[in-house]
Amino acid sequence: MVSALPPAVIFEQVSYKYPRSEEYSLKKVNLRIEQGEFAVITGPSGCGKSTLCKCINGLIPHSYGGTFKGKVIVHGKCTLEHPVYELAQLVGLVFQDPESQLFCSTVEKEIAFGLENLGLPREEILARVEEALDLLGIAHLRYRAPYELSGGEQQKVAIASCIAMRPKVLVLDEPTANLDPLSAKSVLDVVYALNKKLGVTVILVEHRLEMISHLASKLVVMYRGEVLTQGPPRKVLFSWKILEIGVGLPKPLLIALMLAEKGFPIEAPPLLPEELVELVAGGEER
Amino acid sequence: MRVFEGLYYVKRNTAMHRLDPRAKLVYVLCITILSTAVFHTALPMIMLFISVIPLAVEGRVLRRLLSTLRGGAMLAAFIFIFNFIGRLWNIGFVSPSSPEFLEALMPSLAMALRFLTLIATFSIFFLTTSPDDFAQALVQMRLPYDYALTFTMAMRFIPTLAREAQIVADAQKSRGLELEKGGFMQRIRNYIPILVPLIVSSFRRAETIADAMESRAFGASKKRSFLYMLRFKLSDTLFSAICIAITAAIIWLRLSSFLPP
Amino acid sequence: MIEVQDLWFRYPESDYVLKGISLEVPRQSYVAILGENGAGKTTLVKHFNGLLKPTRGKVLVCGLDTREHSVASLARRVGLVFQNPDHQLFANTVYEEVAFALKNFGFPEEEVKRRVEAILAELELDRYRDRSPFLLSMGERKRVALASVLCYEPDVLVLDEPTTGQDHKQKEKLAELLQRLVDKGKTVVVVTHDVEFVADHIPISIILSRGQIRGQGKTLELLSNEDLLAETFLFPPQLTAILWKLSKLGLHPAPSVEEVVEAMLQARRQSP
Repeated sequence: MVSALPPAVIFEQVSYKYPRSEEYSLKKVNLRIEQGEFAVITGPSGCGKSTLCKCINGLIPHSYGGTFKGKVIVHGKCTLEHPVYELAQLVGLVFQDPESQLFCSTVEKEIAFGLENLGLPREEILARVEEALDLLGIAHLRYRAPYELSGGEQQKVAIASCIAMRPKVLVLDEPTANLDPLSAKSVLDVVYALNKKLGVTVILVEHRLEMISHLASKLVVMYRGEVLTQGPPRKVLFSWKILEIGVGLPKPLLIALMLAEKGFPIEAPPLLPEELVELVAGGEER
Repeated sequence: MRVFEGLYYVKRNTAMHRLDPRAKLVYVLCITILSTAVFHTALPMIMLFISVIPLAVEGRVLRRLLSTLRGGAMLAAFIFIFNFIGRLWNIGFVSPSSPEFLEALMPSLAMALRFLTLIATFSIFFLTTSPDDFAQALVQMRLPYDYALTFTMAMRFIPTLAREAQIVADAQKSRGLELEKGGFMQRIRNYIPILVPLIVSSFRRAETIADAMESRAFGASKKRSFLYMLRFKLSDTLFSAICIAITAAIIWLRLSSFLPP
Repeated sequence: MIEVQDLWFRYPESDYVLKGISLEVPRQSYVAILGENGAGKTTLVKHFNGLLKPTRGKVLVCGLDTREHSVASLARRVGLVFQNPDHQLFANTVYEEVAFALKNFGFPEEEVKRRVEAILAELELDRYRDRSPFLLSMGERKRVALASVLCYEPDVLVLDEPTTGQDHKQKEKLAELLQRLVDKGKTVVVVTHDVEFVADHIPISIILSRGQIRGQGKTLELLSNEDLLAETFLFPPQLTAILWKLSKLGLHPAPSVEEVVEAMLQARRQSP
């Protein structure tokens, strides 16, 4: 079903250098993300993950300038040829800092902001605001001010304000970095549900793989501006090399790697504790 | 800082709050004209000042208004003293019982009262008008949306900035900064470690805000639509008409010399 | 070292944020304060150097009642590193930034220089000595903020969410540094909601939830208490989750990755 459609996002030999910077933040990045995919991008700090996110909706290079080489194509549109406001209808972008990306006085107006920019009629705006509030489960926050919400709630508002524009791709740049475990999980659950329910392609940057890797259909590991590997999370992560570049492996995988070294056959590398334990349960458990 | 309290919207549901900001602006304009261009003496100023009170009572913001005025009183006193001394200087210091003394006193008093009247009027406007409605009114009065947005955003980030200032102060105090230490100049310098991080992080925030706005199609359409439009209701028309009528009548009475200057 | 006796705290005109906290952080201990955002963790540690004073109850730092001493004098003993380095970096160079606290505490010029150089070397920041702290990466800025407190060698070091936004390698380096400080006889308190980090590195924990202490003791024991974790909005660390699952199969390895590997290998050998 997925493969018949044209890819959601393609990076072709993308290199990028910020203005006044000496080093390239992205180096010949090639990436292909299919429609409906849940792609997780990871890598040590400073590997170029955030830069990559800003390329997808054209903020780079349109707003940032700098040296841009190669091509980013989103649903058939080359980002170089379309302004950010046009790409914004295709790609929603959620930022790491929950509070700074919310600049309106109420949640409702926050969600309406993008729709107002598009000049949609009032009834349409209202309907879409309500739809987004429901999808994110934040209808009770409608008239609240963003600054009085918790970090998790703020991120949901930010996601809602993107989803209201009905994007085909949702990009989230470390959305849970500032959140506690419970809020982080509830934000990730909501993103996962949107991916399944609406079929929106998700591209999410995250350090803490133990929280997210089992949800991902594709994992992209970046290192020093390059894509090191990409593929199904189990396959990509089952490698000592990932650990060496400073990416924290989920403990079940780490243990599986150690087991494999000692001759324990591992067919499907485990991402979750229960998957690891099943290796020795040998079917008798169920 | 008290003066600024009078600029901070108080959420209530009163007739004053429900009035269209544009209608309230008509009122503000009327009082401004009357107190600056039409009248110049103390007595009418007192009358104008008193006329503000019922609106404050209706809007249930009297207490906030009073605290604003208390803040403004200092400044009013300054205005009064400077004016008064200035005038006495010109006429040569005269005995308090002479008519010239009174001639110097009364206009100075009028100046101070004019100031208070204006503060009270503007304060009522801002106390009963949400920044959003005010911005929307500006947009509907053909002010470019960008300016209105800048205003609402500034208001939106005041609490954030205040919270951040507290954190920065705490962080620096934890590194041994003592704000009250040293002479006058030193004390001013003590604030640098608080101001710099605040300014720098505001710049960082501004970048994120700009990115977030663009990412939500800011500038997409020449014809931006609005979830909420202000409607000039019958009550707004009535209120504005009454304000204008009374103002016109007062001006006419003044021009026909039925009223003192 | 730090003694909190029935501490109640609230900001004017609001509800209590801390409700009857009593705890003791002994000299040379290594303690985590765990809890969800809004549990009151930051509010609590702001009492440790007198930034906040108890509404009720008492906080003693090195035997000093915080209500009777200035922040500056308490901060000399208790170093507090805030979560976001951008809330404190202000100087033109990394050197000046780190020297700030030393100068505030009146260290002589020579000593300031010696200490700044030493701490910059220890935290691998020496090559940025004369650079603006604002131009460094987030991880480096966090280290500068840490250095600016470590330099005056407070007896107690309190870190607020030091792992936020840090990648795996940075966390490991931080853990090594904190362990070195503990070995040197310092008292270290880490405020965090990063359960994995605590489980891997910090022996003693205090779990805070909604302004109250819900548990204190050995980290691994606390973090394997299923009910406690559920009540305090925390998830078990992965290792604990694995141990729970293994125990259902009758395997009870000690809580370490190596022991789990060993137990699983053995289980495989025994099964046909």
